[in-house]
Amino acid sequence: MPDPVLQVEDLCVSFTGGGVTADIVRDLSVTLYGGRTLAVVGESGSGKTITGRAIMRLLPRGASARGRIVVAGREMLSADERELRRARGSDVAMVFQDSMSALSPYLDIGAHIAQAIRLHNPSVTRRAARARAVEMLDRVGIPEPADAVRRFPHEFSGGMRQRAVIAMALVNRPALLIADEPTTALDVTVQAQILALLRELQREYGMAMLLISHDFGVVGSAADEVLVMYAGRQAEYGSLRDIFDQPAHPYTAGLRAATPRLDVRREIGGERTRLRAIPGAPTSLRDAGPGCAFAPRCGLADQVGERCVVEAPLPTVRPTSEVGGLHLAACHLDRLPAPQEVAS
Amino acid sequence: MSEPILEMTDVSKRYRTAGFGRGRGGFLAVDGVSLHVGRGEALGLVGESGSGKSTLARMANGLVVPTSGTVRTDGRDVARLGRRGLRRLRRNVAMVFQDPLASLNPRQTVRQTLENVFRAHGETTSTAELVALLESVGLGAHYLERYPHEASGGQLQRVAVARALALKPDLIIADEPTSALDVSVRAQILNLLADLQRDQGISFLHVSHDLAVIRLYSDRVAVMQRGRVVETGPSEEIFRSPQHPCTRALVEATPEAELPARPAGALRGADRACHDRDHDSPNDHPVVSRPEAGATEY
Repeated sequence: MPDPVLQVEDLCVSFTGGGVTADIVRDLSVTLYGGRTLAVVGESGSGKTITGRAIMRLLPRGASARGRIVVAGREMLSADERELRRARGSDVAMVFQDSMSALSPYLDIGAHIAQAIRLHNPSVTRRAARARAVEMLDRVGIPEPADAVRRFPHEFSGGMRQRAVIAMALVNRPALLIADEPTTALDVTVQAQILALLRELQREYGMAMLLISHDFGVVGSAADEVLVMYAGRQAEYGSLRDIFDQPAHPYTAGLRAATPRLDVRREIGGERTRLRAIPGAPTSLRDAGPGCAFAPRCGLADQVGERCVVEAPLPTVRPTSEVGGLHLAACHLDRLPAPQEVAS
Repeated sequence: MSEPILEMTDVSKRYRTAGFGRGRGGFLAVDGVSLHVGRGEALGLVGESGSGKSTLARMANGLVVPTSGTVRTDGRDVARLGRRGLRRLRRNVAMVFQDPLASLNPRQTVRQTLENVFRAHGETTSTAELVALLESVGLGAHYLERYPHEASGGQLQRVAVARALALKPDLIIADEPTSALDVSVRAQILNLLADLQRDQGISFLHVSHDLAVIRLYSDRVAVMQRGRVVETGPSEEIFRSPQHPCTRALVEATPEAELPARPAGALRGADRACHDRDHDSPNDHPVVSRPEAGATEY
């Protein structure tokens, strides 16, 4: 088996502010190979965005990361600024939710892409870089690329801007792309186009993708593996099939049941269909006690008893339907009761 | 059948724009729309960004004044209402917005926010009434003294719903009421709105870009594209067999949290039928309007 593109071992991220230090991500480990997509799913405070940023070493002020992050053979946490500059954009690139803030309003689209090229290959002439930018815009499906390269970000629609940002991120053929909610700000039809484009380019370039999302629909149409995070910890990890067909963490099952589905009818047998909501609101690791952070919202914690409140569960191996697959869940329950889909 | 709570007839809204480009002559945000919301009914309004759904919703309670056409709420022509009439209208038609933090005054406690609703309509209220109001949206009495920043997004949206309910409206206009909320909390608020419809007979005009939400929580659906309603009908029928290309494009592009999923990348998005109002499609598809489900069989 080839070396993984991304290896994260026991990652902890903590914030220091006002003399207090608090963990926001704890004990996260993942391995991701080229050509695969790992979706990181979670709600606000789950630490999914911070994890993506830690991999790029783009943490906000006051935050620090411990553990080990290896991207394409490079140790990211011990790398100095020079090494990081070399890694960012060429080994690992990032696409954000808001394409407008990823682009400078003063530069035309071509300048953005040419800059990304020349930063990593100073020997490329301006002219050659512009020409490469046109090719790249064409590749991401922007019509009339020779003309588009001279346009400014505000002249593009949201979907076209996101395509341009993808062109910018991928022009140096990174081994890993981190896409943080890349389609959240887009209309559904455009979202489908962008997801298809990412998938296509990934296949072509053989890159690994870390897709950060809150939307199980997006995850279902794009991911190979899924990591579900809750309050800074990994709740469940597994193949898309295992996560969807046999979730082993109550939070995963709960999130799925709370997600509206287009194939569910408004009334079944004369009864109005209702989504099964998870009571309470998402918490962060800072507010969690010594036990499982999900326990206060978990309908099954009573079955286990005291243990959920006093002891944080560690990820343990669960049954998988994939050959050689890995399925982990951090829950004291050995197995979930039979899943009721949209019920009650 | 009694008179609908909301009836819009051939309503248009043209915005004046700064005069360059295709903005000359103004921007037609809503273009000759007719629709109604029956008493006790939940009408879902779907469409992509810029399709005019929010503008249309805001015309229902006089927040936006239509350029032409008539809006009748509870039988009264909104255009003919004076200041007093509008005030009375807004008792009857309440609104819930997308971002609860932005729609609540950060310097007022929940108590002040709710009391102001009563005061604006010349009424007084008691703490007991306010507590009952909060309880009806699933919040405890201790929330009365809280400020918006002390509550989560879901709790704030419950406060916003409580504010909408304060004067016992007949119609609630909910504009993307759950789009800013976490997935696990979204279902709580949607179920709360569904309970209000069922238990108190409140009618809803529910605006959303999320088809799955609209399918579960609306009796009827209107699909908007480029300022027009292109397909209307009972929710079940629209989603079982969407007829208009725009509706079909939306349905096909909606990703399913479901396995076996369509093979990755199979989401149909290339169809520009619904998006992009810059490019008028050469042959506009006729509007699809399905007969009223007088006797809906399920």
